[in-house]
Amino acid sequence: MTPAARVLRVAAWAPGLEDEAAWRAWAAAPAPLAREGVPDATFLPAMLRRRCTPLTRIMLRAAYDACPEALRADVRTVFASRHGSINESIELIENVARGLPLSPAKFSHTVHNAQAALYSIAAGNRRASSSLAAQDDTLAAGWLEALTHLEREPERSVLLVVGDVPLAPTFAPLVDEPAASYAVAWLLVAAEAARETGEPARDARRASGGASAGSGARVELAFEPRDPDAARPRRAWADAAEHLRWWLAGEPELALPGVRQLVRWRRAAA
Amino acid sequence: MARRPCSLSALGLVSCLGAGPAETWRRLVAGDASRLSERTDLAPGRRLLVGAVREPLPEVPARLARYACRNNALTLAALSQIEEPVRAALARFGAHRVGVVIGTSTSGVGDAEAAIAHHLRTQALSPTFFYDQLEFGGAAGFVAALLGLEGPAYTLSTACSSGARALASARSLLALGVCDAVVAGATDSLCGLTAGGFGALQAVAEGITNPMSANRSGITLGEASALFLVTREPGAIELLGVGESSEAHHMSAPDPDGRGARDAMEAALRDAGCAPEAIAYLNLHGTGTPLNDAMESVAVAGVFGERVPCSSTKPLVGHTLGAAGALEAAFCWLVLQGRDGEELLLPPHAWDGAADPALPPLRLAAKGERARAPAPARVMTNSFGFGGNNCTLVLGEAA
Repeated sequence: MTPAARVLRVAAWAPGLEDEAAWRAWAAAPAPLAREGVPDATFLPAMLRRRCTPLTRIMLRAAYDACPEALRADVRTVFASRHGSINESIELIENVARGLPLSPAKFSHTVHNAQAALYSIAAGNRRASSSLAAQDDTLAAGWLEALTHLEREPERSVLLVVGDVPLAPTFAPLVDEPAASYAVAWLLVAAEAARETGEPARDARRASGGASAGSGARVELAFEPRDPDAARPRRAWADAAEHLRWWLAGEPELALPGVRQLVRWRRAAA
Repeated sequence: MARRPCSLSALGLVSCLGAGPAETWRRLVAGDASRLSERTDLAPGRRLLVGAVREPLPEVPARLARYACRNNALTLAALSQIEEPVRAALARFGAHRVGVVIGTSTSGVGDAEAAIAHHLRTQALSPTFFYDQLEFGGAAGFVAALLGLEGPAYTLSTACSSGARALASARSLLALGVCDAVVAGATDSLCGLTAGGFGALQAVAEGITNPMSANRSGITLGEASALFLVTREPGAIELLGVGESSEAHHMSAPDPDGRGARDAMEAALRDAGCAPEAIAYLNLHGTGTPLNDAMESVAVAGVFGERVPCSSTKPLVGHTLGAAGALEAAFCWLVLQGRDGEELLLPPHAWDGAADPALPPLRLAAKGERARAPAPARVMTNSFGFGGNNCTLVLGEAA
């Protein structure tokens, strides 16, 4: 049995790539994503903007674009980020090392589920929510965790958001990755779900902002043994961006070699 | 849809109560709070009572130096106790069919603190520090690398509900058919960041944490690792129910009406297909902070009334944060495993006995208390995290 989901919508944000046309142009000629930049925060309640780190703004921007307003309070959410709020943690750890007191508000925002929590508060969402990290396998782990939510409650949509910002300079030399600011979000429903699942789902098919209509295409996620001797190709952009490139190009299959496995996404016609 | 069994078939754990199920159970039912110890190195100018693991920990093998940190040494201490059944699962199912889901809120922050202090002094990174020690994903990556697993491996980090969530995801990975066995649980380690952070939030108790008391003043910090081998075969003790909710309320304070906690408990009961009356014991989140205990007692009274025997085990082990959900599920597992005829022996609620008149009364388990619970019994554990992330589990004896 290969687990699967239907993709209702996809949205993404990176500096300079803020709408579907821009991403389509990028996908036709992909290039490294920009390191720094944040979206305008006016879509967030004013009281939350001050506490939003660049990563929070970027992940929530993609989340809002992928999920129509009528569904925002009603989806389960999965936030996957390799680094999460670690840059803010590093700042606090430097304070610890200097013997300085910590800001309680800053401390509570360094949890790995900070983006999920701020989404929940901003959108009034009281549903189940996971936040995760998996080193170089974070994209596939995010997809897999989203499928576990569909397993637990097949009748509810899952909003999956994958994103990162460059690691702070102290530790950046320790990590071999294309440092960039980005987020990609998918609105997923159970693979067995009827093609038409009522008004919200129909609304969800209409794209807006940086979103692309997923039209309910079925996507399978398979984990396969990986040839241990094969070197992992080093891509110039994040796996999530490669996934989006694959999606927009309409190719049937994407295989990304993970740390321990080959992860394969297969798309069936809608 | 009837679920296939999800067995919590082997347990390894380490906390200030000791290493392994037998030693932990003995001190847990005795309500032995003598295992907490004082530390002066965690928060400048402050003597902190904490649930620290004091015994020497196994060393992370040299080939995995990039993962060598206290958090992973705690994981290794718990994992070594279940190495035999884990290796058997690997041999039986194949390395790519065994997965790992670890919860943590700290990962190797304690070791990163030393590395960052070194960096501030010398402007150079310590040669023994690797980012894999600090990043959350490294907690699961370490287990996969150590055991040579080739199944999916990821770390869930939703503050104090991380550990419960890891077990929930493990069950789903089995149900999805992605894995035939999952090593799942959680580890958290004491560090200056959490000690300083909770101190700054004025959430750390002066003495020992005193949950549900009128005199409660905050948490006692702790560290632990609790890991299960989770399989699909029928087993003695199963994960029967998962309930999850978010609060849409505040980053560090729970919704005072307890709605999020109540949603999680009711969802877990629905998922387990059982009525509140079927729950023989509830392990409270019971952090000892004024806000948590106020909202949790309202939520528990709302679901159970005053009927269910419950306790917070945090006065015995401290609040182990990201590990708490798995550690307290492990305590529930021990309660079921300790069945004595028609009765279950319960971990006591160790406190000063001064009930808070502002809270609805709960039936807090006394030392030596037993619950009459003919097999198959069901027990529940609550975990509520920062950012309003809640996860309640129901464990039970196989029918």
